[in-house]
Parts: sequence; structure tokens; C-alpha cells
Amino acid sequence: MSTSPTENEMQQPSLSVHGTGYHGWALWMRQTLAILQLELVKNFWGRRALLLYLIAALPVALVSMLSLLPPDADEMRELGRLSQVFAAIYGGLILRTLIFFGCAWVFMNLFRGEVVDRSLHYYFLSPVRREVLVVGKYLSGLIATIILFGSATAASMLILFYGLLPAEASAYFLSGIGARHLLTYVGVTILACIGYGAVFLIVGLFFRNPIVPALLLYGWEWLNFLLPPGLKKISVIHYLHSLVPVPLSEGPFAVLAEPTPAYLAVPSLFIFTGVIIFLAGLHIRRMEISYAGE
Amino acid sequence: MAVYEQLYGAYEGVPQSALSRFLVIPRYALRDIFKSKLVTGMFLVCFVYPLIAAILVYLRHNVNAVAILQIDILELIPIDGSFFRTFMQIQGAFAFLLTVLVAPPLISRDLSNNALPLYLSRPLSRTEYVLGKGTVIAAVLSLVTWIPGLLIFFFQASLAGTGWLWRNYWIAGSIFLASAVWIVLLALIALAISAVVRWRVVASGAMLGIFFVPGAMAEIINNLFLTRYGSLVSLWATMNNVWAGLFFLFDRNSGSVQGTVTNPIYDKQLFNIILLEPPLWAAWAVVAAAGLICVWILSRRVRAYEVIK
Repeated sequence: MSTSPTENEMQQPSLSVHGTGYHGWALWMRQTLAILQLELVKNFWGRRALLLYLIAALPVALVSMLSLLPPDADEMRELGRLSQVFAAIYGGLILRTLIFFGCAWVFMNLFRGEVVDRSLHYYFLSPVRREVLVVGKYLSGLIATIILFGSATAASMLILFYGLLPAEASAYFLSGIGARHLLTYVGVTILACIGYGAVFLIVGLFFRNPIVPALLLYGWEWLNFLLPPGLKKISVIHYLHSLVPVPLSEGPFAVLAEPTPAYLAVPSLFIFTGVIIFLAGLHIRRMEISYAGE
Repeated sequence: MAVYEQLYGAYEGVPQSALSRFLVIPRYALRDIFKSKLVTGMFLVCFVYPLIAAILVYLRHNVNAVAILQIDILELIPIDGSFFRTFMQIQGAFAFLLTVLVAPPLISRDLSNNALPLYLSRPLSRTEYVLGKGTVIAAVLSLVTWIPGLLIFFFQASLAGTGWLWRNYWIAGSIFLASAVWIVLLALIALAISAVVRWRVVASGAMLGIFFVPGAMAEIINNLFLTRYGSLVSLWATMNNVWAGLFFLFDRNSGSVQGTVTNPIYDKQLFNIILLEPPLWAAWAVVAAAGLICVWILSRRVRAYEVIK
């Protein structure tokens, strides 16, 4: 006896909802995209996005000011030294502070913000696997931070070089190593968003008050230069520093350690992120919402 | 009794004096604050440095202890304005961390749960409400700043004698004033942020951001523009200058850097750039401006009702 197409279609939803077989993956992808779409609107147009825009605009404003009012020093007149100036701005301001706080803001709010808004139960009541929710929300945060901080990094570098040395900058970016440096900086920014995003996603999920762990993380990442080589590897900043095209001295008190090569640093960050997302997925399956006390 | 028979009955007890009404808020809020293990733990950590400072003061005056520990008396830190300025810097940092934990729920909970009309329908004005909430922060921060500072000051005075006290009596005033300025600023910023963002965690995050992000920004501006005026962007750096001024340790000349300039005559001419800290009045102006902005935000946000469009 042959099964009619109508009966087949009716069986599909049960397969999809339980996530077995091809249809499960297709459904999860669709649901991830739907969550992504919803969350992207919140990340870019929500009231909380204002602070993110402000953070991302800070380095651009700073280098614009530097281009308009350059200090009377050789650093601003030589291409080689200007790339060191940008490396200092990138390492000291963009990477260590702005991306860190920006990611903390976005990724901690993915779940904590929903709890505060008392809207997480809408997601939990809909027929979506919670792991799918984690992935969808994480990807939305990732896209928002990558777009904002990636653009801020690229814009800062271009404004600095073209603003101070327009003639040399054209040659530097179009036929020199400038384009490679620019892409590397943007790449490091993307990796920073991936790494810090995963850390703050899990912090936001596990801790009711994520401020203290965020503060401890900030201290750990800042004091990384003082840590012994073994401990340096238990941080995101160590791998990111290994990848920046113009390495800077970390000062006289820094404990020197071999930078991790790119072929190890990049996969390490991806593996770390994968493990964190997996843990977040495990945690959220048992998560119960309590809006009291928020 | 039927419902219609339950008429309004005026309060027949002894009314509280108008001046002390706002103290009802801290009385209940302080109980809540110390229910949190995290806050209690942090509060205890805040006393580690005052304990160390007290031991240093004691060691300086105890010949037997110095002999047993085989320490050269000259190697011990002198107990002067610089000692108490360092005390203020360390306790000020702890006070900030304590504020991040304690302050955000104070106003944000009332606003997010629409509880403000319940307060303001009683004989309590908006100013008294904010004053009451500020008193909670001031009380907690006082316990870790000027109170231990003055205790250490008088401990030193009791060991060093009246001569030392007469020479350094101004330090007591500086400890109190330095702490008071910091406490008022922290309380105003924390309450204003809580009133704006309305969510505890978000308010704590915003408070951290307000201090850390401009701090990094100030450092980069100072290094790029070979100046020290960038410090005006950072409230922490500005407060450090204010404290230095209060302890008579403020020196505008904060060092120099060697710059190189290539000009038509010399290939690479070296010159020294003297780095001048912004004047003290500018630091006070930044603190005052930050405080006034917070007061303005509070006056706009703390209302019994709001129109939502």
C-alpha cells in the first residue's frame, strides 16, 4: 500500500520538531535564521545599541581628531612609525577596551537582557530547541559586533593614514603591505568578537550578576603581560596579540613568551568557542526562568 | 464590616519630623544590601588595606616590633600626606567597586517595577527620595573611606604625639573632604545611571564602562598628543588630581618625553616636551560638571509618573 503525499507531509513536522534526520537540520537552520533576524533588529535598533554605537565611534573620533590636529612629532610624519602609532591605538584602546566592553555589553545582554525585560519565556515557550536559540542569539551578537568593530577598525586605520600621509598611504594600501595589515587587523577584530563573545555569552548565562566575573576577566586580560607563559595561554588576548601585524613592546615588567603561531592561535580560538557554545547549549537545556529580583 | 463603612482614617500616631523622613529609606535599604553574600564579602575585603595601613603605623612606633622583625626604621613608609593620599587612592578604588555592587538596584528596582508613586504618595518629596537613596551609598562608602582614614590618622597622632598632630592636623580635613567629594560623585553617577537604564545589571555594566573606557581613552590621548590634558576625559584620573590637590601634592609638571623633529636645518632634532597636568581648577570643574549633569538627569528621570509614547 503506497502512502499518499499528504500523509508524508503530515509526518514531516514531527520529524522536524524532534530534530532527527535531514529535516531536523533544515528546520534548525530556518529557526536559527528566524532568531537571527529578530535579534539583529534588537542589536542594531534597540535602545541598548546606542552605547555600542558610541563605543565603536570612539576610535574613529580619536583618529579623526589626530588627523586634524597632528602633534609636531616624527611619529606622525613617517609611515613606519605611524603604523606603530596605529598598533598602539589598536592594542591599547580598540582591542583591550572597546571590543572587550562592547562584546560584554552585547553578549551578556543576549540572555540576561531578556530576563531583565521579562521576555525570555516567549522564546522558551515556542517550539524551538534551546540549543538553536543559543546559536541564533550568539550569531546575531557576533554579526553585530563584527560589523561595528570591524568597520571601526578599518575606518580608524584608513582615516589615520590617509589623514596624515595621504600620498604615502595610497601606495601603502594599494601596492604595499598596508592592505594586508588592514585585513589582518580586521581579522583579529573578528576573532576577538568570536572569542570574547563566547566568553560573555556563557558569563551571561551562568551568573545572575555577571559584572563581577566581567571585572575579573578584564583584570586577567589586562594583567596578561605579567603572567608566566603557561598562564598567558588561558586568555583570549594572548592569541590575539600573537596575530597582530605590528607587535608592540608590553613594557619592562612584561614576562616574555613566544607568540602562538597563527596556525595554532586561530584554530584554538575556534575550538574554545565551540566548546563554550556546547557548554552554553547544555546549560540552557536545564535553565529555569526566575524573573524575581531583577 | 462592609466595604462602604471602611472610611479614610487619618494617621493618629506621632508624625516624624520632616527633616528625618528620608532616613526611612536607608534604614530598610541597608538591611537589604547586606543580605547579599557578594556585597558582604566585598565590604570585608575593603578593610584589608586599612588593616595593613594600621600595622604600618604601629610598626613605625613600636621599637620592639621593629627590632624583632629586623627592619630599618628609615625603610618604613613615612606617615604623611603622601601616605594618606595612597590610602585614599586604594580605598577610593574599593569604594568604586562597592558602589557598582550596591548602588544600581537602589533606584532601578523602583523605576522598573513602577514603585515610585508608592514612595511619592507619602509625605516624601523627590529630593528627599534621592537624598535617602544617596544616603545609603554614602553610609556604606563612608565606612570604607573617611572613617577608617580618620581612625588611622588619630591612631598615628596618638602614637606620634601632639607635635605631629599640630603639624599635620590638615590631613584629617583632607581625608574627609577627599572622601566626601568621591562619595558624592559616585552616588550621583550611580543613581543617575540607575535612573536612566532602569536595570540593575545593565546599570552596573554602564558604570564600569563610564570609568574604564574613558580611562583607556585618556591614556591614548595623552600618549598620542604628548599631553596630560587627556586625563580630563577620565573621572578617575581627574579625581586623582583633586586628591593630590587636597593633600598638597599636586604638581602640574608630571615629567617630560623626548620628541624628535626633522626640520630643514637638522635631520633629527631631539627636544624635550614637558608634560603638564591640567590645572587643578579644571579637575574641580570636571567633577562639578559631572555632578551637575547627574543631578539634572535625576531631576528629569525620578518622577512619580511618566508619559509613554
